[in-house]
Amino acid sequence: MHVIGFMAETTTAPSETARQLPWATPESSDVNEDALKALETYKKRDPSKVVVRFKAVGNAPIMKQNFYKITASNRFQAVIQFLRKELGWKASDPLFTYINLAFSPAPDDTVSNLFKSFCTDGHLIVNYSTTAAWG
Amino acid sequence: MSNYGTTRHHPAAAQKGVTDYHTTLFRRLSWEGTVPLEIRVDPQELPANSERGLECYFIQAPRVSYLPLLMPEIRRFLMDVVFDETAAKALKEEDWWFEADDGTLLKWHWPIGLIYDNHSILATVRPGSSLAGSMATPLRLILHLASPPTDKLLLSPSAESCKQAFMGQLKEADFIRWGNTKRITGLRKVDQDGLWEGIREHNFDDYWRVATKVTPTTTPNRSQSPGPPPSSVSMHGRPPSADNAGPPERDGAYNVRSVPVRVYLPDGPVIQDLVPPLLEDGTPHTLSHFLSTHIPLLFPPRPPAPPPSRAKPNPQAPSVPELAYPLVQGVLTPLESEMAWLGACLAGADGWLNICVGVNKK
Repeated sequence: MHVIGFMAETTTAPSETARQLPWATPESSDVNEDALKALETYKKRDPSKVVVRFKAVGNAPIMKQNFYKITASNRFQAVIQFLRKELGWKASDPLFTYINLAFSPAPDDTVSNLFKSFCTDGHLIVNYSTTAAWG
Repeated sequence: MSNYGTTRHHPAAAQKGVTDYHTTLFRRLSWEGTVPLEIRVDPQELPANSERGLECYFIQAPRVSYLPLLMPEIRRFLMDVVFDETAAKALKEEDWWFEADDGTLLKWHWPIGLIYDNHSILATVRPGSSLAGSMATPLRLILHLASPPTDKLLLSPSAESCKQAFMGQLKEADFIRWGNTKRITGLRKVDQDGLWEGIREHNFDDYWRVATKVTPTTTPNRSQSPGPPPSSVSMHGRPPSADNAGPPERDGAYNVRSVPVRVYLPDGPVIQDLVPPLLEDGTPHTLSHFLSTHIPLLFPPRPPAPPPSRAKPNPQAPSVPELAYPLVQGVLTPLESEMAWLGACLAGADGWLNICVGVNKK
């Protein structure tokens, strides 16, 4: 890896000679209030729910009920945890999860974002397997 | 800059499989981008007999790299210079984790450039953050040596799990573009591994030798894309080389179903949606249109210009407040940029176009 590393004996950051860019003024008290209000609006969690449909792959046990309504603002990690609980899986038991038999999403993707991009017939299809299938 | 492109005067440049000069230039510039990091061991966790005063390490890290790939170098420095030999033996690297100086946990599976940009936009809404003064200031990281908050870090710190997460992102991007992951899964194992090795070694040629097989080309499809209307022709438009109208390209950036895009707002959330390369009227989907559609409170849509009159034969559209700005690969990005072009030339190594939105001062 071509990275430049060097030691520093003092804690002073080399900021004095740093170039000032127009949007980065040191005073932070003059942040535009309209912009902050907009950010607060976008930060509100989406309370809506979407239908997630679980489908077993390979030797994974089949779930009796496989449609669930899950809050859209949840992260995919919460879906994985939910699935583990439903299957009675221990933390050490391997479980691989996929969308549309194609890829594993990042655990911090939200259900809402995944649903918007990948829903099929109004469902987000989550495949689960005990072995790596499309990894 | 002659080393940035290899095909400028090459007669075969327009042929399929050869990437044009401007595309290579922008891919090269984003690949070579680096960010300054200041890494300091949490003083309370520093083992006994450590060399205090030396526990800080500066690194200029590639934007396309990942924190687990920096660990061997950081570890070597700490072991050689800072830690006492006996104390070092008791440390377990799998317990190490990073935090920014404002208390944000750093995810192992985010590209380092994204971590940096995401932190710099946070500084635009929070006073006193380490990047508030200047974009050239190092991002200050605290390295903890014990008790990782595993539930929040989501992944283990190993390079192998980072590679798996990277491949997952690459496939998700592929699926968004084409509706399947055949381009990635069709790669031989050695090529799939080659993509990751290219990142690990920060080798542009190794990475792009494989990545050109899965990344869209920038030759526009003339039959579908009439090009921008005359009023928007400007220096910020598509680079001239992209206008060499060639045959319609099956793999063209303007033929994808959707561009893989994520928008990061200061302190969340992350917005992801389908982003078609062309709008319904056949014109290219611009960054301006995308932002004013998805986050209109930060990028208010510009109302149309009033009809021309005798007094004002060329009326201008009324101006709207500029509340926020978009950063792509740390670069302030012109709003007239086309999403398809950004996705093909300025996406990260995982195929995703990451747009970090900062807030303007009054």
